[in-house]
Amino acid sequence: MDMFARVSGHHRTQMQQEATAMEPPVLETENLVKVYGRGANRFDALKGLTLEIKRGESVAVIGKSGSGKSTLMHLMALLDRPSQGVVALNGRPVSELKNKEIHKVRNESFGFVFQQFFLNPNQTVLENVVLPLKIAGLSKRERNQRGMEALERLEMADKAKNKATDLSGGQKQRACIARALVTNPSVIFADEPTGNLDSNTSEVVEEILFGLQRECGITLVVVTHDDDLAAKCDRRIHLKDGEIVSVEEGRLDATHGEPNQQSASSAGDAVPAPNYRATEPWAATGGSTSSASEDGPKHREEGTR
Amino acid sequence: MKSTDVVTTALGNTMRSKARTILTVIAIFIGAFTLTLTSGLGVGINTYIDRLVQGFGDQQQLYVQKPSQQSNQPADAGPQEYDPEEAAGAREGNFGLQMLSTPEIDKIRDIDGVESVEPLVAVSPTYLADESGDQYIVSLGLPSDASSLEYAAGEAPQRDADEITIPTTWVESLGYDNAEDAVGGTVNIGMTNATGESQEFEATISGVTEIMLSNQGSQPTPSTSFTDRLYEYQNEGLPEQAVESQGYAMAVADVPNVDQQDSVKAALREEGMVGMTVEDQIGLLRGIINTVTWVLNGFALIALLAAAFGIVNTLLMSVQERTREIGLMKSLGMSPGKIFGLFSSEAVLIGLIGSLIGVGAGVVVGTLANGWLTGEGGPLATVAGLTLYGIAPLQLLGIILLIMFIAFIAGTLPAARAARKDPIEALRYE
Repeated sequence: MDMFARVSGHHRTQMQQEATAMEPPVLETENLVKVYGRGANRFDALKGLTLEIKRGESVAVIGKSGSGKSTLMHLMALLDRPSQGVVALNGRPVSELKNKEIHKVRNESFGFVFQQFFLNPNQTVLENVVLPLKIAGLSKRERNQRGMEALERLEMADKAKNKATDLSGGQKQRACIARALVTNPSVIFADEPTGNLDSNTSEVVEEILFGLQRECGITLVVVTHDDDLAAKCDRRIHLKDGEIVSVEEGRLDATHGEPNQQSASSAGDAVPAPNYRATEPWAATGGSTSSASEDGPKHREEGTR
Repeated sequence: MKSTDVVTTALGNTMRSKARTILTVIAIFIGAFTLTLTSGLGVGINTYIDRLVQGFGDQQQLYVQKPSQQSNQPADAGPQEYDPEEAAGAREGNFGLQMLSTPEIDKIRDIDGVESVEPLVAVSPTYLADESGDQYIVSLGLPSDASSLEYAAGEAPQRDADEITIPTTWVESLGYDNAEDAVGGTVNIGMTNATGESQEFEATISGVTEIMLSNQGSQPTPSTSFTDRLYEYQNEGLPEQAVESQGYAMAVADVPNVDQQDSVKAALREEGMVGMTVEDQIGLLRGIINTVTWVLNGFALIALLAAAFGIVNTLLMSVQERTREIGLMKSLGMSPGKIFGLFSSEAVLIGLIGSLIGVGAGVVVGTLANGWLTGEGGPLATVAGLTLYGIAPLQLLGIILLIMFIAFIAGTLPAARAARKDPIEALRYE
């Protein structure tokens, strides 16, 4: 948690850039294939995807349902194994990892934010938030301390003792983000994080997520078909029928020019509503299926400066 | 997840759908309750037997009898041929028992390891008279039983003294206020010998016996030497041959070296006799009681088996309901092993709760019922020293552990199903 306190947004962005120059990508995939079923029921969910996600980057995976975007996220989040191809974490192929290590990676390095929240209605907000720490085997005292820190950061500390069912949609999603954040993950996977929220609440949640990315250098992988949300990401990967149809670099949103003004503590505040409305974002890069990873860092610089 | 967290989480989960948990616990409770009662019954009765055996003590005594005619003869065999020689030696007693003849007593004495043999004789007194001279019909108990009786007051008659015991039911008729009062009093046994003469023999009351379930203690029981005196008088005037041909119902052989008992028994068998130690006799009784206890336990175990399926059912429903939660925990890095542990802990907890309540209730009900049945004024109060329910802490612990084990086994199927759930499918599940 001290990472939040220590690193100012601007400083962190510089560190990030230096790091990305040397470090292997936090996540990369090579020729990823996933096939469900066999024979007549065979369904090719992914047909050979290659992409890289740099540390501290925010990436939106966009596509209609059935495009393979969820499958891609599951494979990158190590929830599933590919039929063919490689998923590598920090440059190391995941197939080398034992099951136990994969569980550890998911617990410690990954955070998950779901559209349906998946909060346990019988437990308090705090109990829900500390679930990953409980799984990690931390003592109750440490769990609660870190859980409260995460909740404070999301301005939810006063709701800690409430039952999860008593929360509004936005509060639920904030609790969900606190749970994703509580382990200090390097990557947060968000599956339609604003899918169940109204537009005002969506903006608040989006701002929190991008605030975390900017302030703490957390890599953000967002699966969505919400163009507003996708526009705020550093990169947008459009999927169709299990293939990448286009990759867009750079942010398209209104906060684009002044990202460093958002401090961590104000993450919960509503930002001016972005007026930008994405119109045919894939028109920009046409039908390119290249991963475009080589010029990724350059574009990102443009995006964050 | 730490194991303490697994247990507390499991406990929280079992309390989540209370009605279902309670119903499952009731099923376990019934099994645990029954098993506690039936096994406690076995403990109680065995305790009673132990109490009866106390005082028998004499491990070195071998009770020698002739096997009964029926058991000697194979069921499918025809009538046995009459053998005058054997018939002269072996007389049949009153109860279908073959009597031991004097030569047979000598044979027993000759067996290696037997130090002494004492034949038990049948004495038929004419009457028993109390201190005021009132006369009562009487049949005497066997002196060898005296040490195994329960005493309300006093003790067993001394072997070499003219002493006798009386049953509790005789105390008032003989003119004593209570059992303590009777000890030290005297009775006269009236005997008639072969020539028709009569004589009274005086004996001191050494103790007052309780009447046991087996009816032991319901007769006045004289000491060995007093019995011998009576027997001697009874046979006065009879030719020696006639005395010998009467035979003896039983003989007590003293085998000081306990290790030699088996060889002595084998030797007796060769001679057509059966030798049994107290332990052998008790062993038979124990075997029967243990068999009955286990049959009853079997019923309790059937109840537990049914309860186990209740656990399977409850947990399968629980796993189905909590599919998403399982998916979430798995995606947050919980290993399938821990998921399995979580659900099987729930099963074991249900078993533990059910068995604790069941065993507790069983002990309370068993103890109360025992108090009511065998206590003052109860239907079985007249049976001295009877206990119908006994508490064996280790056995109760064993019952709890057994039920927890059964619950664990029952939990493996749902727990394995939970552990196998695919997190993606589980999270997609609506």
